[in-house]
Amino acid sequence: MLLLTALLLVSIAVGTGAAILAWRERPKPGAFPLVALLAAQVWWSTCIVFRLRADTVPAKLQWLHLGWLGVVCVPVAWLCFALEYTGRDRYLRPRYVALLCAVPAATVALVALGGHDLLVVESHTIGANGVVRFEQGGPWYAVVAGYTYLLGLCGVAAIVELVGSDAVAFRGQGVTLLVGLAAPWVTNVAFLLGTFETAGVDPTPIAFAVSGVAYLGAITRYRLLETNPAPRRRARRLVFDGMREGAVVLDTNGNVVDANEYAVDALGITRELVLGEPATRVIPEYERLRDGNTAGHLTLGDGDDARTYDAAVTDVSDVHDRHIGSIVTFHDVSRYVRQRQRLEVLNRVLRHNIRTETNVIHGYAERFGDSDAGRIVQERAARIEAVGEKGRQAVELFERTREEHTGRPLAGILDDCVTRVRESHPDVDVSYDPPPADVVVSSALSAVFDNLIENAARHNEGDERHVTVETRPDAEEVSVVVADDGPGIDAQETDVIRDGGESALRHGSGLGLWIVRWGTEIAGGRAEFDDREPTGTAVTVTVPRLDAPSGE
Amino acid sequence: MSSQTDSPSLAWGGTRTVYSTLAALSEYGTRAKDALVYSSAYLVVIAAVEVVTAMVALSLPPSPAPLVIALLTFAVYVGDRIADAAEDAATSPERAAFVTRHRRLFSLGTAAAYGLAVALAVLGGPLALAVTLLPGAFWILYASDWLPSLSRYASRLKDVLVVNSAVVALAWAVCVVCLPLAYADGAFTPTAAVVFGYFFLDTYVNTEIPNLRDREGDAANGVATLPVVLGVRRTRHVLYALDLVLVAGIALAFGAGILGVAMTAGVLVGLGYALCLAWFVGRTERYGRLAIAGEAKHLLVVAVVVALGAAGF
Repeated sequence: MLLLTALLLVSIAVGTGAAILAWRERPKPGAFPLVALLAAQVWWSTCIVFRLRADTVPAKLQWLHLGWLGVVCVPVAWLCFALEYTGRDRYLRPRYVALLCAVPAATVALVALGGHDLLVVESHTIGANGVVRFEQGGPWYAVVAGYTYLLGLCGVAAIVELVGSDAVAFRGQGVTLLVGLAAPWVTNVAFLLGTFETAGVDPTPIAFAVSGVAYLGAITRYRLLETNPAPRRRARRLVFDGMREGAVVLDTNGNVVDANEYAVDALGITRELVLGEPATRVIPEYERLRDGNTAGHLTLGDGDDARTYDAAVTDVSDVHDRHIGSIVTFHDVSRYVRQRQRLEVLNRVLRHNIRTETNVIHGYAERFGDSDAGRIVQERAARIEAVGEKGRQAVELFERTREEHTGRPLAGILDDCVTRVRESHPDVDVSYDPPPADVVVSSALSAVFDNLIENAARHNEGDERHVTVETRPDAEEVSVVVADDGPGIDAQETDVIRDGGESALRHGSGLGLWIVRWGTEIAGGRAEFDDREPTGTAVTVTVPRLDAPSGE
Repeated sequence: MSSQTDSPSLAWGGTRTVYSTLAALSEYGTRAKDALVYSSAYLVVIAAVEVVTAMVALSLPPSPAPLVIALLTFAVYVGDRIADAAEDAATSPERAAFVTRHRRLFSLGTAAAYGLAVALAVLGGPLALAVTLLPGAFWILYASDWLPSLSRYASRLKDVLVVNSAVVALAWAVCVVCLPLAYADGAFTPTAAVVFGYFFLDTYVNTEIPNLRDREGDAANGVATLPVVLGVRRTRHVLYALDLVLVAGIALAFGAGILGVAMTAGVLVGLGYALCLAWFVGRTERYGRLAIAGEAKHLLVVAVVVALGAAGF
């Protein structure tokens, strides 16, 4: 009996210490249920010590009955801890907890109202060592035992998830918590099976000393309560529900098992109605998407409310790489589609309408003969056509932003540009040193270098006009310097381009430099403008090198 | 030649060794003092001595009660230090820094101490356990989130004149007297009542001394203590009066045969010492040291009681 009392005292000391440490961690998830669990265990152990030390049989019986308060609180507190700690706090609403407490409350009421015969067979024997042995095992005893084991298993199911966590701290916490539960559990099973002689005293609370040590270890070594996984489940749900993309989760049979708010809104139904329904009924054109045909857009809604989506189906696999379902995602591209339509219209206007109108102007201007007025009208019409051409280049650039960056050898781009400029400006000396053939850049740079070299040649003045095109490749990037000895670019022009925006009072004179900037940005690079001495400008375009296109 | 050249450096080396040894000893001494004072560990010893005094006065058999009280004192006081470390940073920066530096150790230590105290109290029976759980119950009451009105009411007790110090004194007197009684399964006799009254009033006086140091902060926080309400001089008069009431009470108890010679003499010597300390109130600003000196009175009392007991009184 002395050893039994000593072990129970150790269990009380460890349990109290661990409860205090857990109490200090409030209000972190799981802290309060853990305190309740440990307090219940301490009370259970305390009642056994008082029972062993009581002088009379009625007093011993009284402590036996009072001990039930601790016995029945342990499984409820354990399950509450496991649920709260693993972020399943939605199951801990007051009405659910009240439901969980029904069996413990009934047990306590039974004890208080004198229904002891349901818990304890009212007989006792005195063993050789003087310990009074009470026979337990009435019908309600079986109910309490079954209920305790059921709640214990439910808690284990929640905690087991931690053992498989990627985080070492959570794995450690999971293992120590399971050890903490296994010790009293195994002890109780052994006691119920009569494996060892304890003079009728249930040694389960003694094993809680092991639990206390495990919990202390989890608190101090694996930062139990301090670093807890509770927010993970809610955070994932929050991201799932809050993301600006629709997502519908399907099981292996193609039935909807989850859908986020965005998808529910896009599909125009309620979550309650969508869950459990076959995807073919809920998602238009689901068969096409499922078969991997994701070309073209999916349109949901009617009339003015119609929205256009890019849709995709992604398979979901378990750890054994087995197919367990799929996610259908919808990305709203309505705005982009409308923008593209507008650009297409703009492109047509710039390409055809302006050219047609300027041709008409040219035709009528010829009627003026060789007069100055006729020449000026033709020149101005040509400039309008040039503006239209630049606009078309700009529109094509914007269209490229939605496409993959197609790579093109830099030498090819520069060769074309230099050849065109040499033909159109034969009086300008264009010196050009071609880059190595393996230097590949975005094809969007064609318009950039076209404008840069053309501008450098056209705006050059004087008897000797020079334009140099120099390339400086390195492993990651390539810089192309286009330099001239012309009058230079007005500072206001370059300032506007650098700032990236115009206003009514502060603006550039055309589209050429804007095309340089936009095209360079689309190619993932940067453009720098520097003055040269005594005159001229050097524009340095630095862009990343791309992999050579396949087949080259 | 070599011995002549070596001698001064050897002498210098020896002196340096002595100095470094003294410096190391001084460093250890300072650390030990810091540990004792900042962690309130000295109170642990004094609390145990108070229980021994009560046991001697009540002629109780040896029990784990002094050890339980020592563990409880450590858990409660150091637990408070940990909880109040942030607030203490303004008034006692060195203490707050010491506690913060050893926070983890103190946290584990206090939890283990309370756990051990509860386990030992179980051996004393339900009453001993209840007394041991009393500080924990107050702790939960103050910190409780689910009983906000009760918690607010309990917290408000700290702001009420006399009640704030009286609650601390009452809890202390209950622990010091009732715990050894519970272990011995003894009755609450008239002697126990006198000893209880002595510890209650004496603790009350000792609780008001630190309030002298904190009077400005207490006034700012709306906490009504004797120094805040009555001022320093009148507080000194009240402390004189309380000590003199105790002297009269102990004399009456001796006259009535409730207290023995050794206990009466010990307590009276202690009260004389307390009156001397009360004289310093308003005449020094070192109230921290005055409070420690007041607590140390119990060492004097137990020394006199044990000495006279050994001499056959």
